[in-house]
Amino acid sequence: MKNCDHFKDLVLTDYIDGELDKNLAGSLESHLLDCSDCRAFFKEVKDNTALPFQQVLHQPVPVGLWDTIKQSIEHENQAVSPLADFIDSFKGLFVFPRLVPVFASLVLMLLAGSVTLNTIQIQQVRDKDQGEYLVSLLGSTGPSAPLDNNNWGTPIEHYFL
Amino acid sequence: MEDIARDTLIRASQGDMQAFEDVYKASSSFVYNVALRVVNNREDALEVAQEVFMTIYHKLKDFRFESSFKTWVYRITVNNAINLAKKNSRVKTVPYEDSFGPHAGHSQLFGEGAVLNEAQTRMDQEHQSQLVENLLAELNPDQRACVVLRNIQGLSYEEIAQTLNININTVRSRLKRSREKLLSLRPNFSYEH
Repeated sequence: MKNCDHFKDLVLTDYIDGELDKNLAGSLESHLLDCSDCRAFFKEVKDNTALPFQQVLHQPVPVGLWDTIKQSIEHENQAVSPLADFIDSFKGLFVFPRLVPVFASLVLMLLAGSVTLNTIQIQQVRDKDQGEYLVSLLGSTGPSAPLDNNNWGTPIEHYFL
Repeated sequence: MEDIARDTLIRASQGDMQAFEDVYKASSSFVYNVALRVVNNREDALEVAQEVFMTIYHKLKDFRFESSFKTWVYRITVNNAINLAKKNSRVKTVPYEDSFGPHAGHSQLFGEGAVLNEAQTRMDQEHQSQLVENLLAELNPDQRACVVLRNIQGLSYEEIAQTLNININTVRSRLKRSREKLLSLRPNFSYEH
């Protein structure tokens, strides 16, 4: 009887579904040959829980299903489109910050370069002006006075040079 | 379900509508039929099938080919169908008695003189389909999903476990209880365990 209960459980699941191990299936089939009660049970299970489903034909898919799905997708895409465009327009800005450090560095370098160049030019102009001024001063002491003379002669020459 | 080329799936995942239509053509029959049997009525089956394909369209780009596409689609279909069936928790099927006339009852389905082997020879397909619909209506959505995947779709226990994301012994247990329930509908049949 205990065996019968065990075999009935197997009939309801693994055996009827063809999932039972070959050896165990062999044991069960031997038992079915000897036990009329289990044999009747197997027939009931097969006829009432397996066969009705095996005979079922697949139902045809309703014709309009694809059109409905396609329309839903197209509708979704249209609805999403302006938002996507909006996001796309912002994408340029989202990409731009990656280049900001590069541009900033370039601008800073240009600024630093121009400031340095400007300073040098101003210095050169000052030196030039100063030289000319001194020359004019020296000239005022006498046309014959040599420029490379270390004897400056006047207090202002002494002060500046 | 027909096999679908990986290339087709990739193109469909990138928004190629022609490729997506190919995916639909290859899988719509089993999606609709699984849905139909789990929700057990055409109107809800259509709703489920539509939801399933919208989900496939949106999530296909996340599909990594780690599991089979078939199992993935089965899972989406069965989950959607079970959820709708549970949500509705209404059975739109005709009771046994009504589907076989006012005086017909269980005995006409399972009783003497109505052995299924004989009945199948005279039942047309519509009648057979109605019978299955009525049998499935007796089960809860989880049991129904197991029976549909095993008895109609022919999936193995392992495949059912993967599809429903449950233990293989839970598959056994649900099938066993489903069959006990179906047997209990049979008059003069006693099975106590």
